[in-house]
Amino acid sequence: MSTMDPAVAAMHEVAGNDATPTKTPEAGTSGAPERPAVQNSPVQNSPVKNPPAQISPVTIPADGHAVQAPADGPAALETEVDGKPLDVATESADERRVRFERDAMQYVDQLYSAAMRMARNPSDAEDLVQEAYTKAFSAFHQYKPGTNLKAWLYRILTNTYINLYRKRQREPLQSNSDTIEDWQLARAESHTSSGLRSAEAEALDHLPDSDVKRALQSIPEEFRLAVYFADVEGFAYKEISDIMNTPIGTVMSRLHRGRKMLRDMLADYAAERGFRGASESSAAADSNKQENRK
Amino acid sequence: MSDCQGLGDCDDARMQRIYEYLDGALTHEDIAEIKDHLDSCPECLEQYDLECVIRVMVKRSCTEAAPDNLKNAILDRIHSIRTVEA
Repeated sequence: MSTMDPAVAAMHEVAGNDATPTKTPEAGTSGAPERPAVQNSPVQNSPVKNPPAQISPVTIPADGHAVQAPADGPAALETEVDGKPLDVATESADERRVRFERDAMQYVDQLYSAAMRMARNPSDAEDLVQEAYTKAFSAFHQYKPGTNLKAWLYRILTNTYINLYRKRQREPLQSNSDTIEDWQLARAESHTSSGLRSAEAEALDHLPDSDVKRALQSIPEEFRLAVYFADVEGFAYKEISDIMNTPIGTVMSRLHRGRKMLRDMLADYAAERGFRGASESSAAADSNKQENRK
Repeated sequence: MSDCQGLGDCDDARMQRIYEYLDGALTHEDIAEIKDHLDSCPECLEQYDLECVIRVMVKRSCTEAAPDNLKNAILDRIHSIRTVEA
């Protein structure tokens, strides 16, 4: 394969990390915003009483990078090879491959999880990830070390999905939720153990993982992916806007609507399963749905 | 619907504030203000809690390990690209 491959050539338009920086409007002007502790903690035991400190600030790109490297991420080491500063211009193909394997291959599981939200079955998700990695490798000379590699890979994955994969899909956008559980891996249920106050929260928390996946799959794709990128991967609005190639305002509105849909859907499932506390929110969900149809 | 207007004058506005709070998209001042409000308002706190629970659920449910062979398949493809280019 060479760079004349049309798929790779197409990537050149989207994979370069040279997007014009946009100041995030929601960040205000009084310095770096900080991320409350809640979002990235795996289990939320006492959501409110934790002070929202100890979080790496979400820095606003000011240097032309499409996506900013996280302060505590592996990116700090990307600019070195064997302890020496990396020079992309002079490295050999072999060296670049070694660097790609070292820096990019660690995200296979995460990209696969995201691909499952796109392709909706394991075999297609595997193909998608493989294709995305192949493209990423072919375009790796364009990746600027020290910028956010994970977001760069997600961007390629998303573009691969949109440009190549989705066109092949014959099925309608809405998934057939009845068939999803057939291939979903069985997972041990793990619950947050304490700190939940309302019966509604308690009811939702008892839903099995398969219900959560089903609810996610049933909301429209652009909302689903925005919610996934924000809530699972913890990407900032600006990063999601780069990954999905949409304005920040659109990202925020997709997140707002997507989260609302997801919450209504989960409340419905909890009510169907007869979990205590869910009925009230289900009634609210019904009225919300009518609102959404307008 | 919502009786409290401390975070916004309608449900949508309140939820947007809570989303931005959880997303880390606010200034220090805004964060402190919302935190103070949540400490004193059970109604908004409940909405906030619910959102936290959903995020944890989504994260838990969507974290999947790639099949064992996928990584090797990717490496095989990358190596074959190199061979052709060399």
